[in-house]
Amino acid sequence: MHNEIPKENEPEIKSEDMAASLSEIEAEYVASSLIRKSPAVLPAQSNEEVLQLLAQHTDVVGLPVVEDSKPIGMINRSIFMDEMAKPFRRELYSRKSCIAFMDKQPLVVDGRMSIQELSFKVVAAGNKALKDGFIITAPSGEYAGVGTGEDLMQVIANLQAEKNRLVMESINYASVIQKSFLRSARRDLEASLHDYFIHWEPRDRVGGDYYFCKKFDDGFFIALIDCTGHGVPGAFMTLIMAAFLDHLLQNDNRMDPAGALSAMNRKVKIALGQIEEMNISHLGEAEHSDDGMDTAFCWVNPSAGKMVYAGAKTPLFLLPKGSDEITVVDGDKKGVGYVETPMDYAWTNKEVALPEGISVYLTTDGIIDQIGGPKSIAFGKKRFSKLILEHCSLPMMEQKGRIMQAFYEYQGSQRRRDDVSFLGFRI
Amino acid sequence: MNDIYLAKTTQSPEVDFRFKEHVLSMTGEAYPENANDFFHPILNALENYLASNDGKDIEFNFRLTYFNSAATKMLFNMFDLLNESAASSNRIVLNWYHDEEDDTILEFGEGVQDDFQALEFRAIATTSA
Repeated sequence: MHNEIPKENEPEIKSEDMAASLSEIEAEYVASSLIRKSPAVLPAQSNEEVLQLLAQHTDVVGLPVVEDSKPIGMINRSIFMDEMAKPFRRELYSRKSCIAFMDKQPLVVDGRMSIQELSFKVVAAGNKALKDGFIITAPSGEYAGVGTGEDLMQVIANLQAEKNRLVMESINYASVIQKSFLRSARRDLEASLHDYFIHWEPRDRVGGDYYFCKKFDDGFFIALIDCTGHGVPGAFMTLIMAAFLDHLLQNDNRMDPAGALSAMNRKVKIALGQIEEMNISHLGEAEHSDDGMDTAFCWVNPSAGKMVYAGAKTPLFLLPKGSDEITVVDGDKKGVGYVETPMDYAWTNKEVALPEGISVYLTTDGIIDQIGGPKSIAFGKKRFSKLILEHCSLPMMEQKGRIMQAFYEYQGSQRRRDDVSFLGFRI
Repeated sequence: MNDIYLAKTTQSPEVDFRFKEHVLSMTGEAYPENANDFFHPILNALENYLASNDGKDIEFNFRLTYFNSAATKMLFNMFDLLNESAASSNRIVLNWYHDEEDDTILEFGEGVQDDFQALEFRAIATTSA
């Protein structure tokens, strides 16, 4: 596995393509795209003429009044009709200027205005702009046409759909990349173990959970990783972590997971500038990153019947063959890379005997902390341990199915709170 | 010092800081899209409040059932502020509400108790759904 982080000076073709197409879409959608050719009247025209025009053009709701090519008002069909229907109005106003009943402050927008700005203006203008429409002008300020609320809604819906499509395409492709990063871990797991399972379920297609496995001649190194965040930022973090870990883990340090955690801690802190004195503010400035990972690093040597575990806020669950009690081995309380974790922090290696038939489980907090059940409280370690005990006699793959089924049932209609990862193997 | 009230949303808790009464409460869940943006103003206000009070009896009611790792870091910053104040000037009780079956929240609370010893920590088991 050669996971190199792209160098800074390499062109990022993908993201630039993406940005260009998003802004292109936005550029196409401006107010002038909504122009409907509509009849307009001059102030010199009479109300009688307006009546006739409205009778001819039954689809017109708002009739613009234009003077010297500039819009000065808008006549609303129903208000106009109501006024003219009142006693003596026709007699009094028929031959007078049509400005008598016009709205003198219709919404007038420049044709170059973006659809987003226009939609805020229409909302701010209240009901009338949505109902009567609004006047669109040429760059010179001259009358160009009218736009309707209905057309605006249609364009907003299209724009939204188009943007969603682009974002989803981008996330789907990110998911392809993240999964391909996991391929070598899968291959090494398959080559190292006979009875095992891995369940990786990011909440938003891509995520901050990650697993890693590297096979050596005398065993394998396995890690379950929970990077800060989920979704795309979480996935960024996993790629950084995977590249660092793959690079630093070599033959000479494979048996020292605590040392690997310390090395990762230094690398992450330096790469992301997460050093205490650089983050002076107690509360953390918004622009400073404070990212890292909680993880369990394990060196497993099945033929020697032992493993070495070092944990950063990620416990190890053990179930010896024939035992009816889960043993939880807790890791250290510091996460890797975070500002509050000192640069020289040392994690501890814990040696664990692996008698034949023992089952080993690792999970990120996504399962344990998930809200659900009748009380809407966290799933919890007790329930998790009980489920493992209930199904421990089954082959590992089947255990996964049963345990995840119980988890989904517990979650019920609650939203998924976090990425979920869970792995188990039997020696 | 103005009180703070933020209504609960799906991803952020109700924040009810009654500075005048010295009773501060947080209820619900915390996994906002950007934890920094959500907590920054709250922590600033809390810091100002604590700095401008001395010898007060302050009650903090913690009633969260879920918080993600980003929110957890912010909560630790918050406990840090409270702890420092409790160590030097005010008396602060941290009422840690948890469902009687919620071992996850209780366990987290016990960690907080260990880490922030100047706070008077009281775990309160609740039975309601």
